[in-house]
Amino acid sequence: MSDAPADGADADADIAAGNDESGSFFDRYTTRALVAGATVAAVVALLLAGLLFPDSLAGTLADALTSENTLAAALRLSVPIAFAALGGIFAEKSGVINIGLEGLLIISAFSAIYVADLTGGVWVGFAGGVVASTLLAALFAVVTIGFRADQIIAGLAVWLIALGLAPFASQVIYGSPNTPTVATSPSITVPVLADLPFFGALFSASPSVYLLFAAVAGSWYVFERTAFGRWIRASGENPKALDTAGVSVTRVRYAAVLISGVLAGMGGAALSLDLGQFTGNGPTMVNGKGFIAIVAYLFGNYNPVGAFLSTMLFAGLDAVQTVLQLQGIGIPRQLIRITPFVIVIVVLALVGRTRLPEAAGEHYETEE
Amino acid sequence: MSAADRARDALSRLVDASATERVLISTAALVLSVLIGAVLVLVAGRMTTCTAGEAVYYFGTGFCYDPVVVFDRLFLGALGDPLSGSWSPNGQFAVTLRETTLLIFTGLSVALAFRAGIFNIGTQGQMVVGALATALGVLWASSLVSGAVGTVVLIPFGLLVGAVFGGLYGAVPGLLKAYADANEVITTIMLNFIATGVALYLVSGAFKDPNSAANQTVPLPEFAQFPALLFGARQDFSIVALGFGLLAVAALYYVLEHTAFGYDVRTSGVQPEAAEYGGVDAKRTVVASLSLSGALGGIAGAMYVMMVLGTFQTGIPAYGFDGITVSILAGNNPLGVGVAALLFGVLKSGTTVVQFATDVPPQLVGVLRGLIILFVAMPEFFRLLARGLPGTGSKPEAVATDGGTAGDRGGETDE
Repeated sequence: MSDAPADGADADADIAAGNDESGSFFDRYTTRALVAGATVAAVVALLLAGLLFPDSLAGTLADALTSENTLAAALRLSVPIAFAALGGIFAEKSGVINIGLEGLLIISAFSAIYVADLTGGVWVGFAGGVVASTLLAALFAVVTIGFRADQIIAGLAVWLIALGLAPFASQVIYGSPNTPTVATSPSITVPVLADLPFFGALFSASPSVYLLFAAVAGSWYVFERTAFGRWIRASGENPKALDTAGVSVTRVRYAAVLISGVLAGMGGAALSLDLGQFTGNGPTMVNGKGFIAIVAYLFGNYNPVGAFLSTMLFAGLDAVQTVLQLQGIGIPRQLIRITPFVIVIVVLALVGRTRLPEAAGEHYETEE
Repeated sequence: MSAADRARDALSRLVDASATERVLISTAALVLSVLIGAVLVLVAGRMTTCTAGEAVYYFGTGFCYDPVVVFDRLFLGALGDPLSGSWSPNGQFAVTLRETTLLIFTGLSVALAFRAGIFNIGTQGQMVVGALATALGVLWASSLVSGAVGTVVLIPFGLLVGAVFGGLYGAVPGLLKAYADANEVITTIMLNFIATGVALYLVSGAFKDPNSAANQTVPLPEFAQFPALLFGARQDFSIVALGFGLLAVAALYYVLEHTAFGYDVRTSGVQPEAAEYGGVDAKRTVVASLSLSGALGGIAGAMYVMMVLGTFQTGIPAYGFDGITVSILAGNNPLGVGVAALLFGVLKSGTTVVQFATDVPPQLVGVLRGLIILFVAMPEFFRLLARGLPGTGSKPEAVATDGGTAGDRGGETDE
């Protein structure tokens, strides 16, 4: 890292400048732009083909893509992933790689249903999920920041603990790894705007979708416009400089990991409360969303908006897949189901390693 | 003194200094996890309901679950109740050894990759691929031979098929990491999902056993499976398979500690820059160690098919993930993997005993697994703990220092 961190509000330019010496950054940036461009081109081509030959497979696909239901489903599917991705950005930008996002989603998904079932309040349940996830994130923070544990192994432990604990608790309390159903909150509809074709889905959605919009905007604001956001970036890029400037690296990292717990908790709680149930068989209802979130923010280059857009890309594919499944297109269900995972690998292979924050994964020892 | 020599020196000091301490930390992590597990059992026992007669009483409070019974069943039950005088080789102990055998292979798979500095979370997927390939390959070959000759030919053949396909599947994240710089943690996790999905597709369609309602392949003939010697056949354990497992432990130990390839792997794991400077081809080492790691996972799958199930069925238990725990607990040392695999064999086999004997949900063992990993990952915690205890204050340091000089661990100090 050649240039000083914590000096500019313009993150993108800053990071690009700091990385130019490697030369390959520009290539990767081009690859990323290429992937995005190719996606847009493919979608446009598909829509055109669908318009010209409405009875072909392209026609069906185009129908699926332009359907308001697809956008609504994509938004719903992206909520847990995007929240977890935002949380991952906070943690990783501060220098703590939080691979336990999956575990945070699982624990909050269960706790939200449990508390909602106990109290009868959906929003109380939501808060319960957030608290549970934040507590687990606090444990992770103590272990990695306080006791200098390897971040990857500790994150894995967080995942495995939640993967065991949530079905365990469900079994103890409800006698089954799946909880009974609780009431869900009705969706919020903005009059007039909700009647727009296609984009109407943006204005008639579950409250968690609006909460996500707010969280994306809020995270962007924190990173780009506040001192705290600059501290987080400095803590991950050049902790020593932050320390010299008189800000405690440890405190900033604790705060960032706790925020990642809050955000992932919102995602997990929204996931289960939207369905009104937690299912804990096998990989549970979270089923890899926490790991897809990691890929989403890597692909989004640690930018909250970028992470949200790449989440929408994954979730959109998932939504189209669901639509195709319902229409009985000739691809077997089991294979359609693995497409998001294949796409993640293809994206990673094309984009390669996104530049991690300089000090990510390393413990920082304050010099006293 | 060349860079390679210096790297070798630093490496051996690091291994020596931490070996005894590692054993202590792993033991402490295990004990602490069991203690937390006991608290969890008590708390869970307060949250569920039972009649007053079924409850146990500690500290004047009634609990529905008794942690003493749980851990008694978990550990002694898994060993076939050696204290009761009615121990037999056909009991639960055979199940424990069966689980141990499978965990040896998945544990070695993770350990090998770890030593090369690669986090292979994909052992589970490599095991699924190896298992399916073995089931189909041996099924095809079993029409060519039969009888005792068939057993002698088909078992090595099946293991080879499992190893090759598991190895190829392991090579995928290796190539992605070496040539596309893709993070292996993410790719291996994704490949797990893909392996499970594709296996489900194949086994519910093209390769489905038409005579079974389950998603499984046509069962292998008896002679194509591991023979049950000494132990009862009902527990699906074969001492031959365990023999292969112990052989693999010794072989991997030898490869890692005494061959040029093993040296490349270890230096890449500890000091990648020094390794490259010393002439190690980093990309090739990454691909080779992940392929070999995948091959070990594939053998675990082959064992599962030819010893336990006799067919491939979807929903293979999470031996691959347990392999991560086994490896971390063993400090990624092949010899340690043998011990840690036995310990986890006990935990896995004991889970079913607990399920029979108590109402405590079996997912408890999953929580223990996570806790053990968490504690093993934070040696600093135990150092602080030891420093805080009066009288034992200097012990861990003394052990660490001892570890660096004393030759009490034989094979560990030969570098």
